[in-house]
Amino acid sequence: MTTITRTQLDSDRSLRRYDDVRGLLPDVANPSPIVRLNHVDPAGRAETYLKLEWLNPFGSVKDRTAAYLLAGLAERGELDGKEIVEASSGNTAIALAALAALAGTRLTATIPDGVPDEKKIILRMLGAEVWETPDDLCPIDHPKDGAIALARSLAASEGGNRFVATDQYENLDNIRAHYETTGPEVWAQTEGRVAWFIAGYGTTGALVGTGRYLKERNPDVRVVGVEPEPGHRLPGLKSFKEAKVPGLWDPSLVDESVVVGDEGAYRVTKDLWRREALMVGPSTGAVVHAAARIDAAPGDVIVAISADSGMKYTSYFGELLGDEGTPAI
Amino acid sequence: MTEITTDIPRTAEVTDLDCSGLLCPLPVYKAALVLNKLEEGAVLRLVTTDPGALRDIPAMARQRGDTLVELIEEGATQVFVLRKGSSE
Repeated sequence: MTTITRTQLDSDRSLRRYDDVRGLLPDVANPSPIVRLNHVDPAGRAETYLKLEWLNPFGSVKDRTAAYLLAGLAERGELDGKEIVEASSGNTAIALAALAALAGTRLTATIPDGVPDEKKIILRMLGAEVWETPDDLCPIDHPKDGAIALARSLAASEGGNRFVATDQYENLDNIRAHYETTGPEVWAQTEGRVAWFIAGYGTTGALVGTGRYLKERNPDVRVVGVEPEPGHRLPGLKSFKEAKVPGLWDPSLVDESVVVGDEGAYRVTKDLWRREALMVGPSTGAVVHAAARIDAAPGDVIVAISADSGMKYTSYFGELLGDEGTPAI
Repeated sequence: MTEITTDIPRTAEVTDLDCSGLLCPLPVYKAALVLNKLEEGAVLRLVTTDPGALRDIPAMARQRGDTLVELIEEGATQVFVLRKGSSE
């Protein structure tokens, strides 16, 4: 009898062949792409690039954060067979749910008001338990951060034996993710020419981690934070006029903040779909809209974070479009 | 758990929710979920052990338009008797 021995193919990034999906996580050797805007021109003759984080394996910039948060827990021995709990507007939770399943555990996500159904369904498909949480759950102590308060109480309840909190708002691994991956990628992809880095305010991990790296390479790089108006409908972004400022926040790294309204953000989002064929989510519209308000010089290279794609917001876009695109009979 | 009785009789219209050992705002969250499912006028008897509930549960009831009928404290345990809807 002949015995056939098959050897396993080794992981090989040059062939885009991976042992498991985690091999697709971005880093400086495997960066998320940057794509120049050619038609939606927010800043005159400056070169504006979007960093397409939605091409990461779990669909957003939060893939980096989630991978580092989980790795940090494992390194510190804090995972210890526990389930994970995180407050998230969806993207961190989606990446955590996927990675938690691969790590043999499970995610409970506390999700704030206003998150589209698409994200909640994706989370449940990934096996996560989803706790929809009104922002004003704790009107006394946490007037707009009910999901964060609930995640912390879940982690602390039952003697702290069931859950461990990844706590993206306070966990320094969130900054480390961007300092070690996003920052070096942007620097390499622009060949050190990046003059402006723009990202939205949320946990502030991307702004602080990437901004710190870029300013260490070139102190003249200007870092711009994009803040929504209070009462906004831009998931993933936070207005610090109504939400608690995260513990990760380091204002010394941000040169300017730009406040963007929903109307402008969604108008630019639609422009990006139709004029650049970039199927981005609403927060990308916000950062590109903000790019139009900075004082960039001709030839400056601007890199803005496109945090996620629009596929998780089709219900929002349906409302935005109304009858547009249907036959006018 | 300490057995605590209130003036509200244990009938089919009284729903019990034990949130012993849970920290706020978990009891608020769970109580709101249960109250959402109750008929107007039905009663929820909620047991908590987190002192934070002494502020959060009455605030929740006010915010939702429900009625805090009774609050009993015994040691580290609190029992809130809540009626769905206002008392008016």
